[in-house]
Amino acid sequence: MSNTITINGRTQAADVDPAMPLLWFLRDTLELTGTKYGCGMGLCGACTVHLDGQAARACMTPLSAAFGKQVTTIEGLSADGSHPLQIAWVKNNVPQCGYCQSGQIMAAADLLARNPAPGIAEINAAMEGNICRCGTYTRIRKAIVEAAGQMKGAAT
Amino acid sequence: MSMLDSSQMALNRREFLKTSGLALGGLAIGVSLPLGVLGKVGNSAFEPNAFVYIDRSGATTIYCGRCEMGQGISTALPAAVADELEADWSRVTVLQGDANAKYGPQGTGGSRSINVMLEPMRKAGAAGREMLVAAAAQTWNLPVEDCYAKLHTVYNRIDDRKLAYGELVALASELPVPDQPTLKTRDQFRYIGQPLPRHDQGEVVVGRRIYGADKKVPGVKYAAIRHVPVFGGSLKSVDKSAALAMPGVVEVVEIPRFEKPFGSVGGVAVVADNNWVAQQALAALKIEWEPGPNGSYDTTQYKQLLVANVESPAKIEFEKGSLDKAFKQATVRHAATYLGSHLSHSPMEPMASLVWVQEDRCEVWASTQDPEGIQKTLAEYLGRKPGDITVRVMMAGGAFGRKFMCDYVQEAAALSKAVGAPVSLTWSREEDTRTGYYHSCSAQHIEASIDSDGKVSGWLQRIAFPTIDSLFNPAIVQPTADDLEDISKHPYGIASMRVESGLAPAHTRIGWYRSVYAIFYGFAVNVFTDELARAAGVDTLEFIRGIYDNNHDPQQQEQVQRCRAVLNKAADMAGWGRTLPAGQGMGIAVHHSFESYVAMVVHAEVKGDEITVHRVDCAVDCGLVLNPDIATAQMEGAVIMGIGLALETEINFKDGAVVNSNFHDYKVTRISAAPAEINVTFIGQDYRSTGLGEPGVPTLAPALVNAIVAAGGPRYRSLPIKAA
Repeated sequence: MSNTITINGRTQAADVDPAMPLLWFLRDTLELTGTKYGCGMGLCGACTVHLDGQAARACMTPLSAAFGKQVTTIEGLSADGSHPLQIAWVKNNVPQCGYCQSGQIMAAADLLARNPAPGIAEINAAMEGNICRCGTYTRIRKAIVEAAGQMKGAAT
Repeated sequence: MSMLDSSQMALNRREFLKTSGLALGGLAIGVSLPLGVLGKVGNSAFEPNAFVYIDRSGATTIYCGRCEMGQGISTALPAAVADELEADWSRVTVLQGDANAKYGPQGTGGSRSINVMLEPMRKAGAAGREMLVAAAAQTWNLPVEDCYAKLHTVYNRIDDRKLAYGELVALASELPVPDQPTLKTRDQFRYIGQPLPRHDQGEVVVGRRIYGADKKVPGVKYAAIRHVPVFGGSLKSVDKSAALAMPGVVEVVEIPRFEKPFGSVGGVAVVADNNWVAQQALAALKIEWEPGPNGSYDTTQYKQLLVANVESPAKIEFEKGSLDKAFKQATVRHAATYLGSHLSHSPMEPMASLVWVQEDRCEVWASTQDPEGIQKTLAEYLGRKPGDITVRVMMAGGAFGRKFMCDYVQEAAALSKAVGAPVSLTWSREEDTRTGYYHSCSAQHIEASIDSDGKVSGWLQRIAFPTIDSLFNPAIVQPTADDLEDISKHPYGIASMRVESGLAPAHTRIGWYRSVYAIFYGFAVNVFTDELARAAGVDTLEFIRGIYDNNHDPQQQEQVQRCRAVLNKAADMAGWGRTLPAGQGMGIAVHHSFESYVAMVVHAEVKGDEITVHRVDCAVDCGLVLNPDIATAQMEGAVIMGIGLALETEINFKDGAVVNSNFHDYKVTRISAAPAEINVTFIGQDYRSTGLGEPGVPTLAPALVNAIVAAGGPRYRSLPIKAA
């Protein structure tokens, strides 16, 4: 009987070392490379995914902690890049190198799921763990606020 | 600065254009660059061709030969080509060119891409447009003057016939290529100057943009590496037994130092079935190192040495007027010493590449700023010809100068050679932090005088930092006259000046970090100027204007005017001089670097130990701006990086090795430190376009330090302010 993880809606067998961080299972085994390695210690947020709907650092999540759970990666956040955050990210030209942005978007999606109308202080607090060396922070804030407005508009 | 000196890159240029018979009968236009451009950067053979390609359906491909690392060059330059071509941008696909001399110089650094490539690329587009128009004119039997191109279609002024580009490519490709195509005038621009979205954002936000660390090929193995901790040291012993016993481990490979500027420092690597196994096995190695000659490098002591070397007479490299006389006749004198720290580039994607060395070929997929450097270095390492090394230029997940060096690619080549398989090597964050080509730490001592007319009459600046040149020539132990030109050719108007170079032998690898030496030059000059203004009892803005006004050198008038213009603009934007609440203040700084001009006003607040940057106003003159949104993003990024290096980013060495390891002890700017507002305005757009990747960084730290004083805080002269 193999251990399984449901990743972006597909149930996958995970017959590898259960101590392997989810990050490397995603990147090397499944070749889902949208989730990035940045620090390996949960310090930078580049590997942020959703585990049963909550933001998690894939570099610090052993596969065993994901067995039987639902994992969403940037590739599965929407079917076609149409999540309001993805749209707002493109509209505001947020990414520069883009390497950290999968993690930024996944962290922001988690924030908006918990808090549909975050203020700047709440955005800062939620996004503090996600480093961007290109320095896109002011656009990240703006895009989150815009996406929140879009989602609110769609909900009412 | 020798490799990135923009003056060496000046195109004095006789471009010519030629078609190249590509398959499918499409129209392909290459643009050739003068051989001299390549002369000092690389020695690849000259074979022109940076392509515009249009197929018979009209689908258009524009190749970008410059490397993309987030600065947006792969949108800005191709959009300029599309503009001249009168192409419909929605029908253009941008592709990254592999390493190939036909694209002209590809080493992407020194904020040079636009300087060097804009005109040739525009000509490639314009030549294509003229050929398509000529083909239509021939088809209709009309004079060329009666025909014109607009958005992928050629029209004529006589009747209502029109021909789509796709219909014209077969005939157009038979026509001669114009030597001197007519470029558009500014009022005709369609894309240049417009905030065109980046071509690749859609891929980024769904996680499908492929970086060097992401590349896969069938049979790929993964590697993890540990480097010699002290530069110049070596491996003493390694016990591989535990690692080799682990399932999934392919091999443990010792990599000796490759003594080239861009070669590996040496280390031990594990090749395995996946990154996780490689990392586990690497941790199981028992390694002993020999520290070598730099084993006592200690940055705390070294900085003290640099200070001593600039607080006493040093080697005079530039002198004008009579400094002694100016100092003797001074009504105000001031002196101060400034310190800067080593920095690690630390792009979010650590050093990463995939290399496959085979008997008859070598293929590289690398996040890189310098594909030619990879060809040259691997050719030397493998004993092959540079042209036999195929380099696929991958999107770089940040670079900031670090990916100009290709030690990590040479290591992947060594590993691929050792195991006979393609090897993907991604450095751990710790290795990335500890095995850098660091920004120089520095000490500068400035003394100046003000005469009875209130003019700055004398300026002495002594400068000591380990140089990038030391990487290429270890005999260089202090800044050269060229290294000091930012000061000896500074646009300030001061009659008597002396610039001296202090001893600073390098004990680690020094590299180009975004803005390079301009970081500490911009810092020391602008902070000292603020101090001097306060000593003279004059508003800093007025004081700086006064220094520029005293420059009567006809050669420097353009620099002076452009510096003054950005200074005044930034002051206007910020409302310089307005009253702020207690504990808040504004600081100003201006710096000219990489042929562009930037001034910033920082509005900061000081509350005990807490320093908050509320707002930054940036005035920029980089000539004609190709894409104002991308250019604005470059400035925003420079502000964020500047805040980090002002407040807390630093690399320290002890016992020869880097003390820092990961983002908990190498502190970079996080979102809460980002200002609420960053305003960017571009002026001087009548000038020729110049680069903007780097020039935004130098002004932030001094403007912030000056703002802290204005807010009632202390004067900081050593960066970072919150040193470890």
